[in-house]
Amino acid sequence: MAKTEQKSGRKRDERIAGYVFSLPAVALLIAFLVVPIIYTVYYSVFQYQVMRPNDITFIGFENYHKLITDSDFWISLKNTFYFTIIVVPVQCALALTLAMLVSKKFKGVSVFRTMYFSPQLTSMVVIAVLWTVLYNSNPNTGLINALLVNLGLEPINFLTNERTAMNSIIFMSAWQGAGYQMMIFLAGLQGIPRDQYEAASVDGATPWQQFCFVTIPNLKGTIKYVIMITMIQAMKLFTQPYVMTQGGPRNSTKTMVYYIYTQGFQKGNFGYACSVAAVFFVIVVAMSLILQKITSEE
Amino acid sequence: MKRKILCSVLAIMMASSLMACGSSQSTGGDDSTVTEGATQGDMDDAVITIWSPSDKESIENWWAEKIDEWNTAHPDMKAAREAIDRSDSYAYDNKIATAVTSNSLPSIFFVDGPQVSYYAANGLIVPITDYFSDSIDDFDPATQAQCTYEGELYAISATQSGVAFYYNKDLLKECGVDTDDLDSRTIDNPITWSEMAEIAEKCTTDSYVGTHIIMDHGEGIPYALEPMYISEGKDYISDDGTTADGYVNSDESVKTTAFLADLIAKGYANVDPITDEFLNGACATELGGSWDVATLEANATFDWGVTYYPVADDTRKAVSPCGDWSAAVSKDCENVEATGEFLKWLMNTENVASYADAIAKPATRASAYDEECMASYAEGPRALFVEQLQNSAAPRPRTPSYATFSTDYAEAMSNIFSEAASTKAVDESYIKEQLDSVADSFAEDYNTYYAN
Repeated sequence: MAKTEQKSGRKRDERIAGYVFSLPAVALLIAFLVVPIIYTVYYSVFQYQVMRPNDITFIGFENYHKLITDSDFWISLKNTFYFTIIVVPVQCALALTLAMLVSKKFKGVSVFRTMYFSPQLTSMVVIAVLWTVLYNSNPNTGLINALLVNLGLEPINFLTNERTAMNSIIFMSAWQGAGYQMMIFLAGLQGIPRDQYEAASVDGATPWQQFCFVTIPNLKGTIKYVIMITMIQAMKLFTQPYVMTQGGPRNSTKTMVYYIYTQGFQKGNFGYACSVAAVFFVIVVAMSLILQKITSEE
Repeated sequence: MKRKILCSVLAIMMASSLMACGSSQSTGGDDSTVTEGATQGDMDDAVITIWSPSDKESIENWWAEKIDEWNTAHPDMKAAREAIDRSDSYAYDNKIATAVTSNSLPSIFFVDGPQVSYYAANGLIVPITDYFSDSIDDFDPATQAQCTYEGELYAISATQSGVAFYYNKDLLKECGVDTDDLDSRTIDNPITWSEMAEIAEKCTTDSYVGTHIIMDHGEGIPYALEPMYISEGKDYISDDGTTADGYVNSDESVKTTAFLADLIAKGYANVDPITDEFLNGACATELGGSWDVATLEANATFDWGVTYYPVADDTRKAVSPCGDWSAAVSKDCENVEATGEFLKWLMNTENVASYADAIAKPATRASAYDEECMASYAEGPRALFVEQLQNSAAPRPRTPSYATFSTDYAEAMSNIFSEAASTKAVDESYIKEQLDSVADSFAEDYNTYYAN
C-alpha cells in the first residue's frame, strides 16, 4: 500500500517537474506567438490605419472580402508558392549532396564543412546586398555579367527582368540556406550504422543502390524535418525581395510576407495587413499538416 | 487524432518561432544606436528624447556636442538623442509606425518633409507655431510651406536639400561634350531635357553610362524626379492634396515618365545603379543631391561640375527638388513646454549654421549664411544649390496620403524602368496603366481615411 502511494507520489512529482520545466518555453510561446496570433485575427476585422490608433472601426469581414478580389494578394501567394516549390527540393538536394561529400573522412574536410556552413553565419541582409552587386545588370559593375560578357554572351538583367528575378533569388537563397540543412543531414548520416553499408556491399550493392536502399531509408526522419523547416522558412521569404528587388519588377518577387509588410508598415493599412497575415498563417499551418500527413503515411 | 493534430500545430508553431528567431538575426537585429556620449540610461532619464536618422560622423559628433551643451545649461531638462538607421529606404518610417502602435514616440522625432502632412493629419505631431512666431520669416519659403499643414507649423528644419545635374568633366571631354557650355549656364538658362539626353547619349560607352536618374528605391525616386513633372506642366497630386487622378496619370506625366524610361531603354542610364555610381566613374553625369558636393570634394579623383536641374523643352520652367528632415514634437511628448524651448534653441541661427556645415547641406535660415562656418556657400557648387533653392524649389505634395503615394509611385517607376530595360523600348500604354494604378491606390487611401 505504502509502496503504491510512494510510486504515485513520485509520478506526481515527475508530472509537476515536467510542467515546471516546460513553463518557460510555453510562456514564451504564449507571449510571442499565441498572443500576437490572437491580436492579428482580432485586428483583421477592423479598419485600422497604423498612424490612427485612436480611430479604429469594426468592419466585419470586409478586409477578407477585399483580399479575395485583390490581385496583388494572389500574385504574392503565387510567388510564395513558386519560391517554396522550387527552393525546397533544390536546397534539400544540395544540402544532402554537400553532406554526403563532407561526411567522408579526408584531410581538410572540416575546412569544407566550415566553408559550406559559413553563409549561414552571415546576415541575410549582407548577403542580399552582396548578391545585388554580383547580379548587377551592367557588365562594368556586375561581376556575373562581366563574366558572361567576357565569355562572349549577352548580359542578363538578373534582378530587373520579371522572368529572371525570382529565379535569381531562388539561386542565392539555396546557396545561402543549404549549409544549415547540410549540418542536419550530416548528423543524420553519421548516425547510420556502418555495418548496414558493409552488408549491402557484401551483397553486391552499387554506391547508388546503397544510397537508395540504405542512406535514404535511414535518413527518413531527418529528411522529413529538413523539408518541414525549409518549407516554413521558404514560405516566410522577405529579406531577399526587400533588399534586392522591393517586390519587383512587375510584382514578380512580391511574396506574402513582403506584401504584409508593405500593407502594414509602408502604407499603414494595419487591419488589412492583419487579415492577409491571418489567411497566410492558416495556409502555412495547413501546408505543414498536409506535408506531415504525406510523410507519415510513407 | 485531435491530440495528434494539436501536437502537430504546436510543433509547427514552435518551428515557426524558431525560424522567426533565426530571421531576426538575419535582419541585423537592433536598428538604432544611441548618440555617442549618451547611454540608453540617458534616454530613459531624459526629459526630452529625440529620434533622428543616423548620419555620418561629423553630424553624430555635432549631436553629441549640442546635447552636452544643452544638458550642461539645463540640468533639470536633460535631453538625449537616439540615432535610427535609415537604410536608404523606409526603415526609419517603420520605426515610427511601430512606436505609434505602442504609444512610445519620443518627445521630438525627425520626419522627412512630405511626411509632415501625413503625421499632422493623423494627430501624431503637435503644432509648434508659437515657438517660432518671431523667427519663422528667417526660414526659407520652401521650408515654411513643407512644414505647414492647415495653417499651423508642425515641424521645423535646420537644413534644406536640392538636386542638380552633376557632370564628370574628364569623361564629358573624352566624349566630345562642351563642358564650358555647362559651366556657363545660369538659373535663367538651364539645360533642357533634350540636352540632358543628348549628353547622356554621347557619353554612353562600353566603360560607363551617360547618366544616373535613380537615387534609391524609396523616397529618392519621387523626391528627385518630381520637378520634371512640374516643369512639364503637372505635379503628382492636386494642390489641395486630395487627388492624384488627372495629375500623376495625366498626359504630361506619361510624357515625363516616358522620357525617363527612354534613358533606361536606350542604355544611357542604369536600371540598377550601384551606390555612388557617379563618384566611382560608372556614369558620366547624374541627377545628384546637394549632399554630394561634400562627398565629391573629399573623394573625387576627377574634375567635376554641377549645373541647374534640367527643364522641360516645351515650357522651360525651372523647378527643383527641396525638403529635408524636420524636427516635430510628438503627441506622446510629456513636457511640451521644455521640448518647445529645446527646439527653439536647437533651431537658433548659430545651431542651424553649424548643423548645416556639419551635414554639408544648405541652411534654412537666411541669417545662418552670415555665420563664418557658412562661408563656403558664397560661391561655387554650394552657392548654386542655395540660388536654386531660393528661385525654383518646389516642396513635395502636402497630403495625408503621401506615404501610400510615395510607396506606390516608387514601385510603379521601378516597374516601368525594369520593363524599359528588359524590352529596350518604351511602352506608353504600360506607363499609363502603372500611373493609373498609383492614382487609384491614392484615391482608395485618401477616401478611406481622410476624405471626411
